[in-house]
Amino acid sequence: MIWLTWRQHRKQAFYTLLALTALAALLVPIGLSMRHTFADLGLTDCARQLADANVAAATREACDAGFRRFGNQYGGLNLVAVLLITLPALVGLFWGAPLVAREVEHGTHRFVWTQGVGRTRWALVKFGLVGAAVVILAAVYGLGMSWWVDPLTQVAHEGRLGMIVFDLQGIVPIGYTLFAVALGVFAGTVWKRMLPAMGITLAGFIGVRAAVEILARRHYQPARTQTFPIEGEGPPEISRGDWILTQGVRNPDGTLIAEDTRIQCPPGGKGPEGRACGAELGIEPGAYNWQSYQPADRFWLFQGIETGIFVALALLLLYLAVRRIRRIA
Amino acid sequence: MSGTRGQRMDMVLEADRLGKRYGSTWALRDCSLHLPAGRIAALVGPNGAGKSTLLHLAVGLLKPDAGAVRVFGRSPYGDTEGLADIGFVAQDTPLYRDFTAAELVIAGGKLNRRWDAALARQRLAQLGIPPDKPVGKLSGGQRAQVALALALAKQPRLLLLDEPVASLDPLARREFLQSLMGSVADSGTTVLLSSHLLADLERVCDYLIVLNSAQVQLTGPVEDLVAGHRHLVGPRHDGGVIGGVAAVIRASHTDRQSTLLVRTDGPVTDPAWTVREVSLEDVVLAYLADGTTQTSHSEWGVAA
Repeated sequence: MIWLTWRQHRKQAFYTLLALTALAALLVPIGLSMRHTFADLGLTDCARQLADANVAAATREACDAGFRRFGNQYGGLNLVAVLLITLPALVGLFWGAPLVAREVEHGTHRFVWTQGVGRTRWALVKFGLVGAAVVILAAVYGLGMSWWVDPLTQVAHEGRLGMIVFDLQGIVPIGYTLFAVALGVFAGTVWKRMLPAMGITLAGFIGVRAAVEILARRHYQPARTQTFPIEGEGPPEISRGDWILTQGVRNPDGTLIAEDTRIQCPPGGKGPEGRACGAELGIEPGAYNWQSYQPADRFWLFQGIETGIFVALALLLLYLAVRRIRRIA
Repeated sequence: MSGTRGQRMDMVLEADRLGKRYGSTWALRDCSLHLPAGRIAALVGPNGAGKSTLLHLAVGLLKPDAGAVRVFGRSPYGDTEGLADIGFVAQDTPLYRDFTAAELVIAGGKLNRRWDAALARQRLAQLGIPPDKPVGKLSGGQRAQVALALALAKQPRLLLLDEPVASLDPLARREFLQSLMGSVADSGTTVLLSSHLLADLERVCDYLIVLNSAQVQLTGPVEDLVAGHRHLVGPRHDGGVIGGVAAVIRASHTDRQSTLLVRTDGPVTDPAWTVREVSLEDVVLAYLADGTTQTSHSEWGVAA
């Protein structure tokens, strides 16, 4: 079975590795140059200093300027990052969907399932080997991406918990890739033709990923809330690396009077016509800025939860696929 | 059930009111038949009659929806160990087209506990099949021979072939059947091969199963079937009893004359009838015509 699996997929494995190497050849120089610029702008120190709560305002401004310069130079790479998160889907399309659908489409399942090994064993060995290869592939990809995207992440305010960069690094690519492959395999056992199976895999993958990303991820842990006064010196403090879910201005009784806003007034500052700062919004004395957020140090916890969800979905789909395989003739 | 098993140890394949349904359509229904050991059996019926379904049930690819099928007394669905005794060549002889014949022989060795690789290689060498060419690039006849060699390398006690010659040209057809007969003659392997054309198999089979419209129309040893049927030509027949006739299978009438194909249960001695022997093809065609599904006029929206 192992020999057969290798013989059947060696060409595909070769091309996958080739594509991965080409991608690495393209991304590694970019990553190196990003890191050079990052160091040249003194941003490595900045990142360390800004992690400290009481930073001098001058340092903060200098660092923000550095981050902006870096962002201007490399911000376009965020688009590349968006393209890179499609890679797990591609693995699902080209490794998962054909695994069973191709056999059925070519009729070879009638050959291989009527030999001495049963089809359940055939399915388990194949899923196991392809799954193991995919996990290794995804782990390499996740580690490489963690390294590559790190400077971009540090520049961005939301840090590693930000959309797209969260999906690109750490261990979640393993979950996504396994899920994509399992979805492809399952779709292949239902539609039994490669093209429909690939189409369904793509649609299903995008749907589930989007649903988890937009609806579920922010609820993995109860969000923390933070309040700070409206009146204060200097630019507003934004904690780097936290993932801000909602923010606004609340009156002393707790009612939210302005969403997605924060107000910063100099002490004793007056608005137009001598009214209190922010009075045109309906702010009462004692109002405060409010935000709910997921703190930056929950990154690995969230990675673990998200990976767990997708691995569980993958296992469920593979179980259903094995069950369906028993009924394909 | 164990009782019938004990009595029929010589039965290779038994089906008992076997049925398989796709959605609401029965592909095979109430199918009861027995295939004794050592026979070369032809499974004949028009396209869509349920031949592939029966073979897939026998090799365990399909699970019966009704009744039971047993091969060597075992239910084949989900029975991995029983698979070792069954060689199966599916319709259109599917093989991994990018594998060479030599690689397929290796693959078979990895997939089977009992595997005679030397036999497969010897057969393929005799047939002049190139070992290092992808089988997708071989001719249809050569590919069928590779599939047969792989099935025989399992040293099966029952060999099932689904339309093995349908896509072959007449020459390749003859060669394929010749090489099949040559290889099973000594081993005592029971063979069940299907075709929608009786003519393909008539010369090689000694047992016949006729399927039509999901049902078994006729089954038995060829010599019994030929001996047990007669052509009768005589005065116009109005359905009365004729001595020695068990059943009228097919009748055609002119104003004054009737031509009947009948199953006999004794000699037909009535001098009014001219009795002629039948060929196997006559018998099969009579049964197939008898069971032909009538096109539904109402479904087509036309008058009957």
